[in-house]
Amino acid sequence: MPFSTIATPEAKPVANYKMGTRMEGGRLLYISGQVAWDAGGNLVGKGDVRAQARQTFENLRHVLRAAGGDLTDLMKITTYITKIEDFPAVAEARSEVFRGELPASTLIVVRSLFNPDFLIEVEGVAAV
Amino acid sequence: MERRDILAERPLEKGRGFMPGVSVNPARVLFTAGLTGRNLDGSVAAGGMAPQTHRALERLHAVLAKAGASFDGAIKQLVYVTDLEAYNAVGRAERAKFLGSARPASTGLVVRRLADPALLIEVELVVDLGGSPGGKPLLEKYNAESHPGDFHQGVIVNGGRLLYLAGQVANNPDGSVAGVGDWRRQAEKVYENIGHVLRAAGATPASAVKETTWVLSIDSWRQHGSPVRRAFYNGDYPASTLVEIPGLARPEFLVEIEVIAAVA
Repeated sequence: MPFSTIATPEAKPVANYKMGTRMEGGRLLYISGQVAWDAGGNLVGKGDVRAQARQTFENLRHVLRAAGGDLTDLMKITTYITKIEDFPAVAEARSEVFRGELPASTLIVVRSLFNPDFLIEVEGVAAV
Repeated sequence: MERRDILAERPLEKGRGFMPGVSVNPARVLFTAGLTGRNLDGSVAAGGMAPQTHRALERLHAVLAKAGASFDGAIKQLVYVTDLEAYNAVGRAERAKFLGSARPASTGLVVRRLADPALLIEVELVVDLGGSPGGKPLLEKYNAESHPGDFHQGVIVNGGRLLYLAGQVANNPDGSVAGVGDWRRQAEKVYENIGHVLRAAGATPASAVKETTWVLSIDSWRQHGSPVRRAFYNGDYPASTLVEIPGLARPEFLVEIEVIAAVA
């Protein structure tokens, strides 16, 4: 985990994530926005945001592992969803995957993703 | 030890011209602002998605060229569109003309509005410049064309350590939201929080490399948030992207800003 965590009492996160991360070495890894595709390119969990979130985070982990890292190497993630009502289910699925604290994090509700059936997309930056 | 493509053979991304993951030694990295299909006089390229995509990439090409780079060096792209059908119909092919065989890690989003309601697409890139920082200043902020905006079109990070901030919102240390319904107060609080985190990491506003501002209303942000932003950066702007979206994590949040910075 070649990065350090930035924390300050004056500005605290609104949930269980890091306020900032500083890369201290290693390689910089950019991960494409991951969606709920299975290995064959089929959407997992059409209409089911919880199932999509699980598959999406699984895919994120898959890319990290292929780069020689894991979820703990993530400095920053951005979670894009299409409906704010989906957030609680996404947050639950996310905390099943991230034991303890999330990386630095942003959550954005967009109008849609690049396939109207995608309910969640997550991109990340890691130091591996 | 240069660029490594991760899962390059996965067919889905291969067919669409992007890469699941890309890693580099972050020796010299260029962050571009989100660029759109604006002409030099500020007008929007006429004719819809295809000419706008062409123009946005032409401008990015110029920003990259000024740093001695090409699209082949792109390690990450973010494409914002307001009209997905038009992008799929004509924008994607236009993008491919510029990107060629380049395959950055990629995210595509459909947003509510870009800086001007006529804009249909905005693209930002992170580019690996290779080489060694050797003696160069930590940050080189530049423009490839003159423009009236409060941002730089490109910022090169020479060595140093990259700093990623969580998306900053107008929250108080006790978890309550500052300035409910008040754009100016939220802007002040967000930049106050950004300032705290930057300082805690040994950075300053001038250390900011790239900024993404997500707002529920660009018009309200321009009126009430932009003056706060101008005071914060005091002329020393990062590369920036401003996007209007329908929602943030809590209904009270009007704005969320992410910052990437660099320290020696």
